[in-house]
Amino acid sequence: MMNNYLLFRVAERLLGVKLQGAIEILPWRRSRPVPLAYSYVEGVMEYRGTIYPVFHLAQVLGLSRTGPIGFTAHAPGGDELRKGQSIILLEEGGKPFGITVDSVVKMAPLEDPKDPSAEIKGIDRKLVKGIQFIDDQEITLLNFERLFHAG
Amino acid sequence: MDDKIRFLILSLDGEGFAIPITSLLEITVPRNIQKDQKLSEIFEGKLDYRGKMIPVVNLKKVLKLPGNPGGALIVVKSSKGVLGLLVDSAKELLETALKPVPMPRGVLNPSLNYYAGILRNREDLVVLLNEDGLLP
Repeated sequence: MMNNYLLFRVAERLLGVKLQGAIEILPWRRSRPVPLAYSYVEGVMEYRGTIYPVFHLAQVLGLSRTGPIGFTAHAPGGDELRKGQSIILLEEGGKPFGITVDSVVKMAPLEDPKDPSAEIKGIDRKLVKGIQFIDDQEITLLNFERLFHAG
Repeated sequence: MDDKIRFLILSLDGEGFAIPITSLLEITVPRNIQKDQKLSEIFEGKLDYRGKMIPVVNLKKVLKLPGNPGGALIVVKSSKGVLGLLVDSAKELLETALKPVPMPRGVLNPSLNYYAGILRNREDLVVLLNEDGLLP
């Protein structure tokens, strides 16, 4: 089945998420950190009256080797490096949440992946739904359902 | 309907946290805290509060935040009794008609019981502490 996907980049990798419900793309901004949160949680932010947890997608997927974020990340220039990044606000099972990505690429209609067990390298497969291609470019399609069952 | 709730906003490592005024007994400076080796690491010691010894908790140690124990002592009542909380400072009173929002799922281990939700304080988000869940 064809569906519209939002494509974005994290750590040089092209990723996609199925568009369903409302979606917002914002320039990266600092979230309110929450002490003792999971290491891949940037914090919480408010947008138009709704509170969103914001997840550092590269860390969720195991794509980056940077240290912990939030309260423990007062690295010099840390926030400056994030200026070009974006936050995508999504919804999964009625739960709003945000992910930080390096850049948003485009929207594209894609065939839903048929074989979720296709070989995927260098990425935590927990959130991977499958692989698709546009002009030989590999796109890893994500499914965030399991993000809320961590821990 | 004017159902405003009041909170004390306190500061830890530069971020705001809140305690409901209904649990607040006193804001003071940390003084005469007696060390007690029998208490665990999160405790700074014990304090004579109106003729009764109460435990004093270093809130930064509970929340694993860096830095010194802080310059303000907040005495609160909880379901586990009266306790002292060491914090960086007591900042302001927040009076709001907005109800606290539950902490979103997926942020932290659900077994952690330190927070009661999130509050809006003008442009900022403030983490509401659960005074009943701070003691081990």
